[in-house]
Order: sequence, then C-alpha cells, then structure tokens
Amino acid sequence: MNTASLQHKRYSRLNINRLGLWLFILSESGIFAALLFTRFYLLGLERASDLNQTIGLIITSILLISSLTAYRAESAIAHEDRETFLRSILVTILLGAAFLIGVGIEWSQAFVHFPPSGLFGTVFFTMTGMHAFHVLTGLILLALLYSNGRREAYSVEDHWGPEAVVKYWHFVDVVWVFFYPALYLVS
Amino acid sequence: MKSIFKGILGAIIGFVVGAGGLSLIRLATGLEPWKREPGIVIGYLFALTGWLLGVGVWDYWARGWFGLPVRKYEVTGWRRYFNFDPDHKVIGIQYLVTLVVMMLIAGLFAMVMRAELMNPGRDFLDPKEYNNIMSLHGMFMIMVAVTVISGAFGNYMVPLLIGAEDMAFPRLNALSYWLTPVVPILLLTSLAFQGWDSGWTGYAPLSVTNESGQIFYNLGFMTLGLSGILGAVNFLTTIIALRAPGMTWGRLPIFVWSIFSTAILSLLATNFVFVVLLLVLLDRIAGMGFFDAARGGNPILYQHLFWFYSHPAVYVMALPGFGAALEVIPHFSRKPLFAYRWAVAGFLGIVILSFTVWAHHMFTSGMSENPLPFMVTTELISIPTGFIFLAALGTIWLGRLWLKTPMLFGLAVIFNFLIGGITGIYLADVPVDLQLQDTFWVVAHFHYTIVSTQIFGLMTAIYYWFPKFTGRMYDERLGKLHFWWMFITFNTTFTPMFWLGIQGMNRRVAQYLPEFGDLNRWVSLSAFLMGASFLVFLYNLVYSWARGPQAESNPWKARTLEWQTSSPPPHENFPREPEVIGDPYDYGVPGSVHALIPVSGGSTDGDVVATSVALYPND
Amino acid sequence: MKRDFFFAGLLWIVLTFAGITLVSQINLFPLSAAHEADIIDEAFLFLTLLGVPVFAFVLVGLIYSVIRFRQPGEMPEDGPPIRTSRPVTWAWLGITSALAVFIIFNPGLKGIRELTANREPDLVVQVEMRKWNWTFSYPQYGVAVVDAQELVLPVDRHIRFEVTSTDIIHSFWIPAFRMKVDAVPGQINILYATPTETGSFEDDINLRAQCAELCGTGHPRMRAGLRILESAEFEAWVAGQAAGSP
Repeated sequence: MNTASLQHKRYSRLNINRLGLWLFILSESGIFAALLFTRFYLLGLERASDLNQTIGLIITSILLISSLTAYRAESAIAHEDRETFLRSILVTILLGAAFLIGVGIEWSQAFVHFPPSGLFGTVFFTMTGMHAFHVLTGLILLALLYSNGRREAYSVEDHWGPEAVVKYWHFVDVVWVFFYPALYLVS
Repeated sequence: MKSIFKGILGAIIGFVVGAGGLSLIRLATGLEPWKREPGIVIGYLFALTGWLLGVGVWDYWARGWFGLPVRKYEVTGWRRYFNFDPDHKVIGIQYLVTLVVMMLIAGLFAMVMRAELMNPGRDFLDPKEYNNIMSLHGMFMIMVAVTVISGAFGNYMVPLLIGAEDMAFPRLNALSYWLTPVVPILLLTSLAFQGWDSGWTGYAPLSVTNESGQIFYNLGFMTLGLSGILGAVNFLTTIIALRAPGMTWGRLPIFVWSIFSTAILSLLATNFVFVVLLLVLLDRIAGMGFFDAARGGNPILYQHLFWFYSHPAVYVMALPGFGAALEVIPHFSRKPLFAYRWAVAGFLGIVILSFTVWAHHMFTSGMSENPLPFMVTTELISIPTGFIFLAALGTIWLGRLWLKTPMLFGLAVIFNFLIGGITGIYLADVPVDLQLQDTFWVVAHFHYTIVSTQIFGLMTAIYYWFPKFTGRMYDERLGKLHFWWMFITFNTTFTPMFWLGIQGMNRRVAQYLPEFGDLNRWVSLSAFLMGASFLVFLYNLVYSWARGPQAESNPWKARTLEWQTSSPPPHENFPREPEVIGDPYDYGVPGSVHALIPVSGGSTDGDVVATSVALYPND
Repeated sequence: MKRDFFFAGLLWIVLTFAGITLVSQINLFPLSAAHEADIIDEAFLFLTLLGVPVFAFVLVGLIYSVIRFRQPGEMPEDGPPIRTSRPVTWAWLGITSALAVFIIFNPGLKGIRELTANREPDLVVQVEMRKWNWTFSYPQYGVAVVDAQELVLPVDRHIRFEVTSTDIIHSFWIPAFRMKVDAVPGQINILYATPTETGSFEDDINLRAQCAELCGTGHPRMRAGLRILESAEFEAWVAGQAAGSP
C-alpha cells in the first residue's frame, strides 16, 4: 500500500456534481411522468379540438432551437470562446422568453375555449403551467449565467455552472417533447 | 441562533412579498384582494424561500451565484447545531433531536387518541377534534418514520462507514435539514384553521372539500418530499462516489446498503406524491377539477398517485430499520453477517418490487384495474423480505450472543416485523382484504411493520451508536429496562387490535360500538404504559449525553470503520483516508482485517504508510 | 451443533402443533351471514394455519438462539466464521417462493374466482352514500328508502349492491358479509352477496352497514342496521314501502 493508492479517487468533483445533477433530473422527471399519467388516466386519448395548433408548433420549434443555442453556449465556454458563450446564452434567454410569451398567448385563448374549471382545461393548464414554471426557473438560471459570464466567472477548467444549467435546459426541452404530443397531437 | 432569526425574518418578508404580491395582482384584475387559501399557498412559497435564504443559503451559498463573495462559515461549539452547518455529523444530530422531539409529540397525540377511545362514546373530543389529532399523529409519525434513521444515522454514519470525509454535497445536506423543522410547524398551524381531518392519506375529494387546515398538510408533505429528494440525491451520490479505496460494493456495510436502497425509493417515488398533493391544492385554489366527478374528474386518480409514492414510502420506513438491525446483529453475535449477498439482494428486490404493488391499498376502491397483478406482486415481495430474516437468523444461529441493549432492540425489529409481515399477507389476499381493509387489523398491521422497523430500529441505532456520536456511554440497566418495558407494552397494545379488526371494528373513529369497549380500554391502558416507557428512554438519552461516563472509541469492539476513529469523530472523520482491504463482518475469520487507517504524519512522497491504528484485527 | 438443530426442530414442531391446535379450537370469527363470508373466513383460516409454522419457525430461531447462544458478562469470543451456506440459502429461497406462489393461487385466485362465480343477481339494491346518510333503493320494486336507518334484505337471494356516493368517498361495509366496497362519486361500484341467515342489528352487531372510509365528522356514526328477512316477509315489507311512498 502506498500513498498513491490512498489518494486514489475514482470520482473528480466535477463527476460528483454531474452524478448529483443526473439523479436530480431523474427524480424531477417523476413530476412530469405523474402529470402524463394523470392526463391519460383522466382523458384517455381525448383532447380539445380548439387548441391553437399554430402556436403549439411555433413554441415547440422555438424551444427546440433554444436547446441548440444552449448547447452552443456550453461548447463555446469549453473552448474559452466567451463572446459566443454570452451571445448564445442571450439568444437562449430570448428564445425561452418567446416560448413563455407563446404559452401566455395560448393560455389567454384557452381560457375562452376550455377554462381550467373543465376537465381538459384542468389538465392543460396544469401540465403547461408546471412546464412553464420549469422554463421560468431555467430562464432565471440562464440570466445568472449571463451576468456571471460577463464577469468572466467561467473558464475552460471551471464551467460547471454553465454545464449544469444547460443540462437542465435540455431536460426541460425533452419534457416538452413528451408534453407537446400528449397535449396537441394525441387523438 | 442568529441564523434562525434571520431565517424567520426572511420567512416573514417572503410571506408578505408573496401574499401581498398576489393580492396586488388580484386587485389589479378586479378580484377581491385577499382570498385565504391562494394567499397562504403563494405566501408560503415565498416564505419558504425567504426562510432558506435567511437561515444560511444566502450567506454561505447563494451569494456566489450572484458574483458576491460567499461568507466563510466560522461557527464553532454548540452554536453549530443552530446554524447552517455543512458537517454531516452536525446535521445528523440536528435530524436526530428534531425528529425525536417530533416522535414524542406524535406519541402524545396518540395518548390523546387512546384516552378518547377508552370509552365507546364521546369523552372529551368531538369527532372533528379527534380526526384532527388522528391526522396530526399520523403525519407526524410518517415524517418521523421516513426521515429519522436515514436523516440522523444515514447522515452521521454513512460517510463514516464508507470512509469518507463528509457527504457529497454538504451545503445541500444542510438545506435538506433546514427544510424539515418547517414541516411540523406547518402541520400544527393547521389547527388555527380548523385543522385537517383527512388523515395522513388526505384522500380526495374529502381533502378538496374540507376546511382550510387541509392546505397545511399538503404544503407540509410537499416540503418534506423536497427535503427527502435532496437527501436522496446526496446519499446516492455519496455512496456511489465517495467510498474509500477498496470499499467495493461487496464490502459495503449492510446499513449503507439499506440507506442506498431507501434513497433510490425516495428519489424515484417522491415526486408522484408531490404532484398529487399539488393537484389537490389546484383543485382548492385554482378551481380545477381533477377529483370532481361532476366535472369528469376521478377520485381514484388520487389513490393511484398517492400510493405509487406511499407504498414505496413504507419501505423507505422499513429498510433503514432492517439495515440498523442487520448492522447490529453480526457485531453482537461475533459472527459474519450470514448470506450478506442475499440480504443485499433482498434490499434491492424490495426496491424493484415495491414500485409494482401500490394498488393493493385499493382492492376495495372500485378501481377499474384488475387487482390480481397487485396481489401477485405483493405476495412475491415477501420473498426478498424473507432474505432479511434469513440473514438475521443465520447470523445469530451458533453465534456468541452479547445481549446488550442495541442487540435486544435489533432482535425486536426482527420479531415484531415477523408479525407485521405475516399479518400483511392477509391484507394482500384480495378476498380477506375485503373484510379487513379499513379495520383495526390494518392499524395493528402497519404499526407492527412501521414501529417495529423504524422506532425499534431507531432505538437499535441510538443505543448502538450512542458512544460514537456522544463520546459517552448510556446506562445499560436503564437501556434494558426501556427495552423490556417498550417491547412488552408495544405487543400488548397492538396485538389486541388484530382481534378488534377481525371482530369488525373500523378504524379512524372517535366513537365505536359498546361491544368493543373492554378490549379498547385494555389497549388504551397498555398504550399509556408504552408511552411511559419513553420517559425512561428520554432520561437515559439526556442524562447519559450530558453526564454519562466517557466511552472508549470502540466499546463494542466492532470492525466497521466508524469505530476506528475517536468518539465523537473529528471534523474530517479519519486522520487519513482509510484503505479497505476486507469484509466488514468477518468475525472469527483468521487474519481478516476490514481496513487500514494510516496515522497522520505519514510521508507523502510515495513511501509506505505501514501503521494501521485502532483496528480490531482477528488473530 | 447437530443437537441444536434437533432441539430447535423439535421445539418448532411442538410450537406449530400447539399453534394449529389453538387456532382450530378458538372461534376466530364473528357472525357470518352470507355465503361469501364463509369463503372469506375459510381463506382467513387457511392463511392462519399456514402462518403458524412460519411464525413458529422464526420464533424458534430467535428464542432458541437467544437462550442457547447468549454469552453472559463481558464481550464474548468470536463465533464460528460462517459466512453463508449454499444449501440453506437456496432451500430458503425455494421454500419461501413456493409458499408465496402457493398462497397466490390458494386462497388468492381461488377465493376471487369463488367470489365472482355467480354474476346473475336475484335482487338489485342501490346504495347511495352521502355525508352522513344512506339511501337504499330497490329498482325492481320501485322503492327507495331515503335517510335510511336500516337496510332490509331478503335471505337466500343473490344480491347485487350498486354503490355510489354523491359527495366524497365513503365505503359500504357489512361486517357479517365480510365485504366492503368504496362508494366513489361518479362511479358505481358493485358488490355481490347472498345472505344465508335472518336476523337484525339488535341480534348481532355485525348485521350492520357501516361506513368504512374516513369521511369527516359524521364518519364514526355513519352506520345503518341490517335486517335480513325471510323471503315472504321481505315481499311484505317492500309492498309496505311501495304503498307508503307517494
């Protein structure tokens, strides 16, 4: 036995953080799984016919694109390209905000067609609301990234913050990939 | 203490901001500005945030997110226990004290219930008050049962047992803890709003239509869930990533395995109950109709989501208790843990199967799903549970039994759960369950499973590790007195309830038919005696903690790592990282050593560090 | 060691025998007043008889070890380093699995099949529960008893109960029939029973309909007596109700 083996660590701090984040995301997906279960349990394959499909398609595209820009931000900071990093984060924030505005428009129409007091409204507002809440938290985190990024807080060696937020953002996107067909397409 | 005041201040500011902001929005949209339930819920969300920020998250953590310098944590001495302390040992003690106090309060609620049940008619509680007390007893105890062993001893002992310095995320750990004191306060606040009378299960639509006290149950349970999830992330990461060199999965102490299994369950299941509690809140405050049949909602949905969490939660309660018992039994039998791998397989088998059994709580609910698969999986789960018994019996058989207090409690876990397990078979059987569901049989059964694992398991853990976490020795005679007193009165309290159940007494009633009077009086008197046994425990705990004789670092001559360091352990746990080279329970195996702990001061340039200290080698 | 196995085994047999004798001597069950109740009691008894040897086995393992292997005084020497035993573990797995699978079939599946065997009712009784009252209706006779204090049934007829609720979840339970089903708003839950005895709540407390699901303040008092009549008496009672209601 020598000191080398004593100092042996299989997990770096970064990998420990990653593991924790993945576990948290795994747990968080339970929320969305439960909501999907609720949706199909209560409504079967029914959905409201007067959903605004155009808005649905637009906001879905916006969110998917924002995942690409977020990815771009992460790889930029990994290559010490601060300018691209900041620009991509800003674009991601704008796209995320656009998504939320789109959801807001959809909500204002939905209030008329299927208010939350009805069954589809109940399910629709809860699912989109829970997802929008996660988008909102993601936006707050992205805004923190942006302000910290301007102070050059991240580097090639140390950019766990951006990595974590971007992973979370991808997760929120993936959730929508399940929610969108469950709400807009199934019939 | 300052941080607690800051937390309270933060909570008050948060509540004002949240509830006030909502009122302003309502005013702007032409609604009446204050509506009680939405105001409380939104206010609470902000108050909880304010509390966490104030109690330490801001100073020691969140400032960094905004580019501000993070405060250095410099609290020492007893004040650490009232602060946002990241040390797992401090957090373990915080959990232990908080939850033992909660357990005693919940016990008092039980005494009140049993006092009312002394006589068939109304004595001093009307049914509404009784239901409030019953709900408080239930939820307090559920919180104790899902949290106490993993919160207190999981935190304190897992890093020690695996040879780590601390948990993987110390600040997150502190955050998990500081969420917990909020929950009992919330639950008690419900009494200011007529309480909640839907029990710890909070079934909709009752929980949608009753008084406002209900929302405190929902908010409290959700807060508890959040704390549990963060704790589970921490435990899993710690156990996966921070094991000392050589601490392979096959050498992991069994208690660590039990916490690992528990954490998987908490991690995956908790958000389901989080969602269902949220849906109830939405029905109440946002006029939604998840559980309103008139609008197409379905009350059965509640039970599916609720039990999808709450059945695994039963194992969240049971597994750490099994873990504590199986941890203690080999040390006090001076024999290796029998069929270690089977015991581990038992834990993991329970984890997997417990996600498939939830609807056995719903055989009489009229659910559209076929009950058959749930009956099958429920009866199959007795197989991995059996492995735990196999390990326990195989270990004590031909052992050299040292019947100290922790060993007695450990064996009591096995004995009591045997009764809990066998009586569960009746409930798993669909035909028999049609009769026994919602009777006192169920009450007796789940007290035999949960009290036996979690409370007897807690006592196992407290007495076993008492010299470790206090540095002092408890009073053995009082410990044994406590054991026999509690063990006997526990059994005389709950065994008659099985009979009451068969004879047709339904549960959750303040008043009952006079024919059940005699047996209930017996149960009540026995319950009071059982309650009194905790006075012995409390005295022993407090007195020995303050004045007990100094304990040796390894009074049980146990092989596992936590005993190979001083009591209580230093901040960094071990002078240098231990190297694990053998199995933890190999008593009597010639030449076997569990671990080597280099003494400090070994050279750092690759020389051999040859000294291992304070071990208990077998020669 | 062989001696230990022998004495423990002997103790196990003795305890099992004593337990089974005890169980079959005492009367476990309250009044049974339906065909279905006998099926359920039989399942209960069967599980108990099966549970006795299992209980006795672990009990003997614990008690025998504690008495025989306890070491008084200070810390004992290490015991024999037995880590595991292949035959023991596999035998344990085999026996526990066999037991688990066995009880799935009997009494589980067998009981369910017997309870669901006859689906052709002679009489339909609709049970509507609400806080904290009952309405029992007999659609075949056009009779409804609102705010009922008593549920009246004929003996020896196969009855389908259609149970529902108008507010929150209740549960319709007749202890003497050994069966309950929840009353859930928005759905009708079915329960079948064939009364085999006549009698009333005054004769035996198990002849009662009891709410078994927590439903708020009135829950403990939410019960109605059960009166089981001979067929002719029942017809007369129904006719009286029909005449009495406008």
